[in-house]
Amino acid sequence: MIQTLEQVLQGVLDRLQHHITTYVPSLVAALIIMTGAWIVAVLARWLIHRIVKGLSIDKFLRQSGVAYMIDRSGRLRATNVVAETAYWGILVGGVLAGLSVFNTDLTTQIIQGFVFLLPKLFMAGLILLAGMWLGQFIGRSTLVWAVNEGLPSPRRIAAAVRVIIMFVAVVVAADHINFARNIFLAAFIILVGGAVLGASLAFGVGAGNSVRRYLDDRRESHDDKTPEPSLWSHL
Amino acid sequence: MKYFLPPEAQRAVESIRRADLVVGIPSYNNAQTIGHVVRAAYAGLNKYFPQLSGVVINSDGGSKDNTREAVLSTHVDDNHLLMLSTPMLPVNRLSFPYHGIPGKGSAFRMIFQMAKELNAKAVAVVDSDLRSITPEWIDLLLRPIALAGYDFVAPYYHRHKYDGTITNSIVYPTIRTLYGTRIRQPIGGEFGVSAPLIARYLERDDWETDVARFGIDIWMSTIAVAEGFRVCQSFLGAKLHDAKDPGSDLSAMLQQVVGSVFQLMQQYAGVWRGRKGSQPAELFGFRFDVGLDPIAVNLDRMTQVFKKGSAELGELWEMALQRQTLQELRAVSHAVCNEGKPLHFDDDLWARIVLDFACAVRKHPVAQGQLIRSLTPLYIGRVASFVQDTRDMVSDQVEQKIEELCLCFENLKPYLIRQWDGLPQLAGVSAGATNTQMAGESARMEVN
Repeated sequence: MIQTLEQVLQGVLDRLQHHITTYVPSLVAALIIMTGAWIVAVLARWLIHRIVKGLSIDKFLRQSGVAYMIDRSGRLRATNVVAETAYWGILVGGVLAGLSVFNTDLTTQIIQGFVFLLPKLFMAGLILLAGMWLGQFIGRSTLVWAVNEGLPSPRRIAAAVRVIIMFVAVVVAADHINFARNIFLAAFIILVGGAVLGASLAFGVGAGNSVRRYLDDRRESHDDKTPEPSLWSHL
Repeated sequence: MKYFLPPEAQRAVESIRRADLVVGIPSYNNAQTIGHVVRAAYAGLNKYFPQLSGVVINSDGGSKDNTREAVLSTHVDDNHLLMLSTPMLPVNRLSFPYHGIPGKGSAFRMIFQMAKELNAKAVAVVDSDLRSITPEWIDLLLRPIALAGYDFVAPYYHRHKYDGTITNSIVYPTIRTLYGTRIRQPIGGEFGVSAPLIARYLERDDWETDVARFGIDIWMSTIAVAEGFRVCQSFLGAKLHDAKDPGSDLSAMLQQVVGSVFQLMQQYAGVWRGRKGSQPAELFGFRFDVGLDPIAVNLDRMTQVFKKGSAELGELWEMALQRQTLQELRAVSHAVCNEGKPLHFDDDLWARIVLDFACAVRKHPVAQGQLIRSLTPLYIGRVASFVQDTRDMVSDQVEQKIEELCLCFENLKPYLIRQWDGLPQLAGVSAGATNTQMAGESARMEVN
């Protein structure tokens, strides 16, 4: 019995020793790689901050409105963007290199999946960024137009335009990375279809008389050709 | 980009071959009024320039009311002109549709090209909806060029105190401050232009921008003053013309006119930075007072437009305005919206708003259109304030108010230059403060 117990304990100790000798060097190596990557990332960020002046990129970011989209004060600087991108890129690369040390099926799958997904993620990010920019630009144009036309609730109209454009961008990005493609597409169709139906019903039921009056007025004023006094004879 | 005349216009040029003077009339659906303008142009050329050959050219934008037929069929009776000498050469009359972007600019381009090919010494352009034009206008627009060596004649009118508010509140003060020449009506619509200046206009490549629409007048005036052509003004009396289409979009018009001012400001930054103060342009013609059509102003509606803009457009105004300007604007807005006080923009605040917008348009070229359109409620607010301030004033007093506004703009030029250069403003910026505190700074910049 004591001999059996000794054998079991010996077996446990052997396995532990085996695991320690197998995995701890890998873990230490992974940690060393990740720490090294972190140090390189910090150094790269520090260097980029000092080396890349990025004046023309800064100008482009400011003039195109991207700077204001990401940071409302418009103080976004190209050096920050480049440095942060390099920092995170190196850090993620370090983590992946660290994981690869283990050389297991799971880590290999994770790394492969990530490497294959990376370009798609990058494109999806660009699509989202473009959607944000376009949404902000067209939303703002809509806001100014609605105010100058004297429409009610201009900010809501502009917000609706922004949301629609952003939603389209999200649907396209999700489709690109093949993430919940059907759910997003169905949600989009339901939302747009519902909005159009709702607007048509509201317009038909609620504003039919107003529209008729408006069209009649327009026709009459067109027939009479007697312009009302203009408020804007400014030039 | 070289411009080619439409074939029928080219044939007409080849047939006439030469003309000393040209009167150009751009038109679009002006059959009701253009006959009078053609008669005045024809009589003006016959009466005041009998020894010179002249052509009246109508450049039409595809009118559907027989405007061109009205031009060609207008009867001109020389017997009542009391001419001192008999015209030696007949005045030709032509009418062609222009090609390109619809607008006054494209119409002018065809007129200028024809004038160039006819070797004209001087060209006068007049609007086709004028009711107050007389033959003397042609003399006043052409004589300073034909006989006194000027290159550009701007009109000078008597206008109702509430008429021409884009001119009075934005364009005149800005152009005067930037280029140092006081052209009272830089977007008047009637101009005289010399052959060298026409050649300069035609060689430019920005005809297919906003210039082709409402921007042509300010474009012509700005090039003349910025490039050092000899500029003068002629007093034409009152300008009475057809009411503008009430459905026309004010913000689009503002965008084209103010956008052209700001665009040209960027092109000529090297010119205006070095110019200090302003000098009056020589004024020809006999000045007299005339009765003017009343102008209805709806202050309540204007105040509502300003209030709505204040409530909704903060996001854009934040982009455009400097912090102090924005704070003061918010104070004005708060007084109107929350305390029920009458709308009041002082001159200094208004001048800084316009100059801030000019710099913002340069800084955010992508959002340029949005920024300028967002100026509309501010502009309407300023007009409402001006109307209230000048309600009991007569014409001369109103002119004095406009002069004060212009001086305010001129005093803020160092402020504009600092902002243009991306330098921080000195503390306590206002027209007065700027004038004294920044004098040294300004002098240093001008030396540079």
